[in-house]
Amino acid sequence: MEAITGWWDDFFWGSLVVVELFFVALILTVLFGLIGAAAKLSKNRVAHAIANGYTIIFRGTPEILVLLLFYFGSAITLTAIAQAFDPEVKFVDFPPFWAGSFAIALIIGSYATETFRGAFLGVEPGQVEAGRALGLSNLQTFIYIRIPAMWRLALPPFGNHMLSLIKDTALVAIIGLEETLFVAEQAIGTTGKPFTMYILVGAIYLGFSTIITLSVMLLERYANRHLEIAS
Amino acid sequence: MNDSGQASIIQLENVDKYFGDFQALKNISLSVKKGERIVVCGPSGSGKSTLIRCINRLEEHSKGKIIVNGHELTSAVKDIDAVRREVGMVFQSFNLFPHLTVIKNLMLAPKLARKSSKSEAYEVAMKYLERVKIPEQADKYPSQLSGGQQQRVAIARALCMNPQIMLFDEPTSALDPEMISEVLDVMTDLAQEGMTMIVVTHEMGFARSVADNVIFMDSGEIVEMNPPKEFFDNPKSERTKLFLSQILTH
Amino acid sequence: MSFDIALIIDSIPKMLMGIGLTFQLLFLSLALGTALAIILLLMRISGRWYLSVPTMIYIYIFRGTPILVQIFIIYYGFPQLEFIRESIFWPILREPFGCAIVALTLNTGAYVSEIFRGGVIGVDRGLKEAGAALGISATHRFIHITAPIAIRLCLPAYSNDVISLQKSTALASTITLLDMTGIARTIVAETYAPYEVFVSLMVIYLILTWFIQRSFGWIEKRMSRHIREEV
Repeated sequence: MEAITGWWDDFFWGSLVVVELFFVALILTVLFGLIGAAAKLSKNRVAHAIANGYTIIFRGTPEILVLLLFYFGSAITLTAIAQAFDPEVKFVDFPPFWAGSFAIALIIGSYATETFRGAFLGVEPGQVEAGRALGLSNLQTFIYIRIPAMWRLALPPFGNHMLSLIKDTALVAIIGLEETLFVAEQAIGTTGKPFTMYILVGAIYLGFSTIITLSVMLLERYANRHLEIAS
Repeated sequence: MNDSGQASIIQLENVDKYFGDFQALKNISLSVKKGERIVVCGPSGSGKSTLIRCINRLEEHSKGKIIVNGHELTSAVKDIDAVRREVGMVFQSFNLFPHLTVIKNLMLAPKLARKSSKSEAYEVAMKYLERVKIPEQADKYPSQLSGGQQQRVAIARALCMNPQIMLFDEPTSALDPEMISEVLDVMTDLAQEGMTMIVVTHEMGFARSVADNVIFMDSGEIVEMNPPKEFFDNPKSERTKLFLSQILTH
Repeated sequence: MSFDIALIIDSIPKMLMGIGLTFQLLFLSLALGTALAIILLLMRISGRWYLSVPTMIYIYIFRGTPILVQIFIIYYGFPQLEFIRESIFWPILREPFGCAIVALTLNTGAYVSEIFRGGVIGVDRGLKEAGAALGISATHRFIHITAPIAIRLCLPAYSNDVISLQKSTALASTITLLDMTGIARTIVAETYAPYEVFVSLMVIYLILTWFIQRSFGWIEKRMSRHIREEV
């Protein structure tokens, strides 16, 4: 245990990076998920096909492969673009944080697409009709009726997506992001205690998943509060 | 209630049953003789299902004594299965095993619980399938049968264990009207052969023609118990009269 | 930026050489993990706290931490512990392949036991009561009534987990194993052509995923042939 003293700081900053990565990826995930769900629910056949392709590709490909592809691919592309302007440029690196959050968001977003689609379909049409009958516009019914109803249905499975998200952030270490696994490697270099360090990383992630699970539980209670009072 | 010399095959003494704070059965005392046919009726939530489910210990009674076929039902009775082998139950939602054919549904319990051989179990199963008049459905799956047929299979399944007592929990309530009589016919035949039966039902015609005694339950209590003629023509309690007026006007 | 077709044609056979390892990782971990899951399930539903509580903790830990971290703990971390080095398991845990199998097995076991538990809970209470009313013992009820129905109910979730496991096998490349992803990474390191190599690898994984889905779809159809709409 004494091996860890002196490293608490670094693990703290590493954990912070994980938290940043989580929230950025989360926002992007919701975005991709909503766009994907909209595409799947629309009557436009092209949108439908693209969305289907999207979900199939990102649900069937190993996450690490997506990460590697994005990271190295964007680096190569960026380098090519930079070289077009300045032939002297050897190699442009792409920040792993952004490659990582984008890649993870695309992956989890493909699962969120299905979840959101199912949740939108689960909204009772009668409620939407009632909104229209009352004179609310399309946008208003979407914001005030569809989204709240859909959110309650989507929450339990989306909670699982969030758990997958936080766990996938560990993979970004493979493309060089300086988060907890990176810190662990350095600590191992000086202390020679890989088990201790990696267990600590595991404990940090376990802490994060616990927080997420509890938060989702609270959110679910909040979302369903009108049902609890009734019973 | 037990005034003839015959021994009672089911005996309930001062039975209470609580679900948390809610009292489903209040001080129930009942004696059922061998071969007796009893119909239990009453409004929803009156405790009728709870009563018969306590008899085969699908529910555990909280206070009082229940003696079935000579065995007292206590929390210490390890051999609940032995008691249940002698008591058959037919459920409102049939509960046939969906992954087994009709004949396999009938053979399962005899093979596992009575250690019958496959051929013995098969013979008994076909015998009862013929009794309920659908032997040709033997190799079908439950989902391929109509509701009335499924319930008849459920009755045959219970009979394959050769029980001393048959309990029916609203056997026709989940059936479309045109299928009710095929099931009631089977139950009537069973009654005429001398099976001890307790039937929870709303089918008053059946009660009138088959029952030895009709029990009215309300809010967990046995309000009235009388032979059908007395019960329907001369109800004693106000609550019974109210209930009868509500269901018999349809 | 050009698309080097020749490189793709050259790389695919090389990557496919890793498919044997991918399959070994997949099938071995799946078999062992499923067996472990059955044991965990029985412990979890045993009703005895000294069996169910440790099981719940185990499942919580393995589902709450990234699988990459679990792999690192076993591969990099275990050698730190003396009692591991001196145990009979050391020959297995010394090799990256053994470590990968152990990590994937332990992880899959946790997820699949929860899937099985979901199936068991999903079996209609009335069916268990009917079995009880017939005098069938609890053990027999579980084997002949609950289990067959639960298995059919779990199949969709189980097939998803098999696909997840297939994706996780790619993580073996992070501990030096040359499965398909491992080989791909070495090719990219030499050729600087992430798009060609990784995209073709993605296609291979997608084909594998498609096979798994088709197989399970067939199994599900066969198991459900008697569950048709009510007449």
